[in-house]
Amino acid sequence: MLSRIRYTLRETFDSFRRNATLTVAAIITAAISLLGVGLTLLSQHAFDNLLARWEGGVEMIVFMRPQATAEQLQLVEDNLSEQSQFIAEFSYCDEQCSLDEADRVLAGEPGVRELLDENNITTQFKAIPTEGTDVELLRQLSGAFSELPSVFEVKFAEDQISLISQLQSFFGFRLLLLSGFLLLAAILLIWNTIRTAIFARRREIEVMKLVGATDWFIRIPFMLEGLLHGLIGAGVASLGLWVWNTQWTTGVQDFPPNSGFAALVVTDGYEVTVMLIMFAIGALAGAIGSGIAASKFLDV
Amino acid sequence: MIRLENVTKSYSTEVVALRDASFDVAKGEFVFLVGPSGSGKSTLLRMLNRQERPERGAVWVAGRNIIGMPPGRVPHLRRNIGNIFQDYKLLLEKSVFENVAFAQEVIGRPSHVIKQQVPAVLELVGLAGKEDRLPHQLSGGEQQRVSIARAFVNRPLILLADEPTGNLDPGTGEGIMRLLDRINKTGTTVVMATHDQRIVNTMRKRVIQLDRGVIVRDQARGVYE
Repeated sequence: MLSRIRYTLRETFDSFRRNATLTVAAIITAAISLLGVGLTLLSQHAFDNLLARWEGGVEMIVFMRPQATAEQLQLVEDNLSEQSQFIAEFSYCDEQCSLDEADRVLAGEPGVRELLDENNITTQFKAIPTEGTDVELLRQLSGAFSELPSVFEVKFAEDQISLISQLQSFFGFRLLLLSGFLLLAAILLIWNTIRTAIFARRREIEVMKLVGATDWFIRIPFMLEGLLHGLIGAGVASLGLWVWNTQWTTGVQDFPPNSGFAALVVTDGYEVTVMLIMFAIGALAGAIGSGIAASKFLDV
Repeated sequence: MIRLENVTKSYSTEVVALRDASFDVAKGEFVFLVGPSGSGKSTLLRMLNRQERPERGAVWVAGRNIIGMPPGRVPHLRRNIGNIFQDYKLLLEKSVFENVAFAQEVIGRPSHVIKQQVPAVLELVGLAGKEDRLPHQLSGGEQQRVSIARAFVNRPLILLADEPTGNLDPGTGEGIMRLLDRINKTGTTVVMATHDQRIVNTMRKRVIQLDRGVIVRDQARGVYE
């Protein structure tokens, strides 16, 4: 067993050395395509942050002043309950809930977020309209809510979501398409690198087959090589993603306040999940691509 | 050890490599396959290690019909068969030791066994002391000896040799034949395709003659013609 492992590792690294130029090309292509996939996932998540407070079909939010009393909150709640023909359901987001939400919405403005605490955060009533209720009708209703004591303001999803959603779908789709093409190019390049490596060693493979080596014994060093192409590519892409995310997050802090970019950052550790996804895609693409390439030369 | 039953193999409608070929080879026999180029000698050898499959007939090796053998079992069959080629098929960037050890490595022999058996087989073929040489630093005869060592190191039941003396001068070829004869005397069955009339006539082993895919002669202690 030990001798097989030693043999596999030796063959893998020998092949790396022999095909250095092609190997580097395959790794770079894999890295660029995986970085594309990573940036797409990251930007989607950043857009989701922008829309964090409107998750779950919320169309209207009644923001309450920080010092609103229990009676004033009850009054708003009663008013919302009375509109059951237009409002399907509503929920109250208290101080802690609003602070958690601020963590995402103000991720790019940590200075502003630091100023907020349980004593000065606006709490919120989030309303989901009944099916068929026109937002314009809700807008008309809002006039009544704005007049209630301790109501700070009433906001509508339509005013904020429309542009963000358009941007999200525009960039998301096109970036994903581009990443898909790049990923395909990376798989083909890894496939071609392995094919070239195998072609250069076809004599050796013929001898191996004739002395009784199994197909898997021959295939595994090549698959390991492809797997390493994918993993190294993913490593380079992860580094690029980390640098990009750090630069962007730092840069956003210098943007003018209320520029709209405050939430368009990822600071909740999601970038680590994206990196793991990139490693998984890289490893799979590399191993499968090289496995297919190797199989074509094993018919001796 | 080997049995062919009515084996027919063609590469196209015009090119028939073997036609209804049948014969038996007992354990420990030494058999020459003779005949002109294109008579089917190499096809027959390739069929014995399942590199080729016939359209019709059965090929039995060590008691098993290898034609219907599942692909996963073929490597195990080949571990019992050594192959020697006219062009040696040595790995040029590996040393003599590494070339021979390679045959053991790929079937998972532990390194302590390799370190013990490779020098022994190199001693047997007369290459002791040349373990570290690369193939291009050896003569043709020495390269063929490495090839024989690689074929024999796993102690196969059968040795298939395709024109092993074809690239060698007569004197060197005789040395190779003496070596194959020694290996045969250890109980290994040897099937050798050759054009070398002198060798066949000197050795006086069983001769199977092929002509355009047909066995035209099967003679014990035979000569070339």
